[in-house]
Amino acid sequence: MIGRIGRWFNERAKLSELWQSQMVDYKVPKNLTFPYAFGVMALVAFLIQIISGIFLVMYYQPNIHTAFDSVNYTIMKEIPFMWLIRHIHAAGANFFLAIVYLHIFAGIYYNAYKKPRELTWIVGFFIYFVLLMTALSGYLLPWGQLSYWGMVVTTEIPTSIDSAPIIGKLKIGETISVWMKGGYELGQITLGRFFGLHIWLLPLILLGLVGFHFYLIRAHGITSPDGREIDKKKEGVPFHPYITLKEGAYLMGYLAVFFFFVFFYMKHFLPADNYDPANPFKTPAHIAPEWYLLAFYTMFRSIPDKFLGFVVFNLALLLLLILPFLDFSPLRSARNRPLFFAMFVVLVISSMALTILGTMPPTPTNALLGLIFTLAFLSFFISMPIISILEWGWYKAKGGSKND
Amino acid sequence: MEASRRDLLGFAVGGLGVLGAIGVLYPIVKVLSPSQASLAGARVEVDVSQIPDLQVRVVSWKGKPVFVVKLPQGFQWNGKRLNDQNAKLLQGQDAYALVAVCTHLGCVPLWKPQGEGEFNYPVFHCPCHGGFYSPWGDNIAGPPPRPLHVPPQKREGNKLIIGEAGFVKELT
Amino acid sequence: MIKTIFFTVLTVAFFYIVWINNIFAPHEKYEMPPEHRKIAMDYKYAKEGRELFIQNCASCHSVRYDALYLTQVQANPMLASLQEKYGKVLPRDVYESVFMNDLNALKESFGKVPPDLSTIYLVKGPEYLYNFILEPQKVLPGTTMPPVMAGRPEETAKIIAYLRSVSEPPPQEKAKRNIMGVVTIGYLIVMGILIWLWRDRILKKMGLH
Repeated sequence: MIGRIGRWFNERAKLSELWQSQMVDYKVPKNLTFPYAFGVMALVAFLIQIISGIFLVMYYQPNIHTAFDSVNYTIMKEIPFMWLIRHIHAAGANFFLAIVYLHIFAGIYYNAYKKPRELTWIVGFFIYFVLLMTALSGYLLPWGQLSYWGMVVTTEIPTSIDSAPIIGKLKIGETISVWMKGGYELGQITLGRFFGLHIWLLPLILLGLVGFHFYLIRAHGITSPDGREIDKKKEGVPFHPYITLKEGAYLMGYLAVFFFFVFFYMKHFLPADNYDPANPFKTPAHIAPEWYLLAFYTMFRSIPDKFLGFVVFNLALLLLLILPFLDFSPLRSARNRPLFFAMFVVLVISSMALTILGTMPPTPTNALLGLIFTLAFLSFFISMPIISILEWGWYKAKGGSKND
Repeated sequence: MEASRRDLLGFAVGGLGVLGAIGVLYPIVKVLSPSQASLAGARVEVDVSQIPDLQVRVVSWKGKPVFVVKLPQGFQWNGKRLNDQNAKLLQGQDAYALVAVCTHLGCVPLWKPQGEGEFNYPVFHCPCHGGFYSPWGDNIAGPPPRPLHVPPQKREGNKLIIGEAGFVKELT
Repeated sequence: MIKTIFFTVLTVAFFYIVWINNIFAPHEKYEMPPEHRKIAMDYKYAKEGRELFIQNCASCHSVRYDALYLTQVQANPMLASLQEKYGKVLPRDVYESVFMNDLNALKESFGKVPPDLSTIYLVKGPEYLYNFILEPQKVLPGTTMPPVMAGRPEETAKIIAYLRSVSEPPPQEKAKRNIMGVVTIGYLIVMGILIWLWRDRILKKMGLH
């Protein structure tokens, strides 16, 4: 009976043809490494956030007087299993960002952003950016001390534009800051608008961007880890079952690690100070952005001039966006490019160091280290054109040409 | 030999997959179930000694408005009767509860102890479409097709407990 | 191979520092004598702790999540009718508006309204609370909290046990959650291995590998 319904449906929706063309006939390289799975892990992390979010929205109240209690009493204590859904959403946000970072670094390593995939990279950058905004707006909602003061710090960042010579007089920064908050202080208007952004507008935009990202990936196929495109007619393995089941197994591993934190180690994802209700008259002793923004925070803090600090961390984002155009070398994949590999290691270590420095108090030593690692981070991007020119030289010497 | 081992693995994966799906669905169903506070609202206590004679209090029970009617000692009512369903059920009770939802189209009727319109004795009058009920909720005129519903209720001293079986066992 | 190990170790170390134990950014640690720590972490003292709380703390601090309001508020007949309308745990703005006079009186005496302590155990932890309640000035110089429990460390530990019972689920519930966690993780590991083996079989049959 079920078979007959299945066949009726399949004849009309043509699902088995879709499956065959998209999953079985779609060929990918045989030698894909573990980091290639970060993409599907990010997708699953996204789905987990959406589903857990659907249930949280049923009980959360976006009102400054009742928001904290709706989370810490109704959700965490009153409704059966809602504590679990909240844990999943809080840990999930951190895991989602962690996986996205790993995915970005894997893409940089294997040069996945090179022609014809520059647009894939650009769309990916915007996914990352919108995701950061989603995380920031979400963190405000529990209305704890860290939620409130973290957002105070965030909405103060645009005011650093006012430290600029000449244009600073226009007070554009303050205008932006007041506009973001909906007033001079963080209040009901701010909470209401960030709630709306967080639960539907930003996720909808993310869905659109992710859909486009997926389409572009499938349109071009997957490059192999050594930078080659495979000839889909002669080589490669069918996506199903070669990749689907492999990534399925990896996903189980990812979820096992994820649920370990969900059940047994939420200390970092539900920080103690956020169990203190928001108090506009008392700043917590340790206030800093969440780990996923700390690298940018350190860059901002390390530069004595506020406006320059603002420029530098925006520059970091911009350089990330235009990486496909900075790295115009004909060679692909860090496996074949020792210079690139060396700079990649510099990039990874700088990013990690900048993040960790963000957790440390701003002593003069730490500030100096922050400056050094900021420069090291930027040097990766600045070295790209230089390395590209060098590699073009070697490439042409070996008989390669622009038309390869 | 090889085929059956592959099938066993596939079967195991499929079976565990179903178990996993159930494991995910269980908390979702529990999260959506009525809360303790809401279920507690299924039992409402009213101190009827606080209600003056021939007056009606309105309370909330299971999300619905409910009349708590207090009749004076030796109350006689010689009004029009179309049916005696509720009167028989509530015979001998000086206080009882009726679901305050008109059985025509759902408005909340009004208690008129001085009478209303053509009736100069205590009645419930529904202003929406002119339905009339006896003090026991039996329909006596107008569009209502049946008497007001009577919730399960019992009496303990001065307390009328709505929501537990007693002199009325279940919702009519 | 070396590259894989290098990047894996780097990633794991990074997330260990950022998420589990940041050795570069230590926070203050407070001490608590072990015999009193045992009392604070023992759920059975929560009931006694509640009584002690009502006697010593409730004239200034509420514990709204346990429907434990200020003594002055508890005596107010309005509380019962409010609770009938809103439930045992009153919404914060309702509570603060209706009992504004009582709260303002506290603000006059202490400079600020003594905070509600429903989640304080999660914010500060038992060691901090023990030290603060016994010697407020030592932990937070300039605070207006009087040393109401001075010289009574054992009772303080019991009050902490009570505060813990309001913030954390009871031991049976905790045990249930632990079992849920172990079952979930075990299930995922088993599924992962099974899928891997199943894939191996399928690929062998297809002639790929």
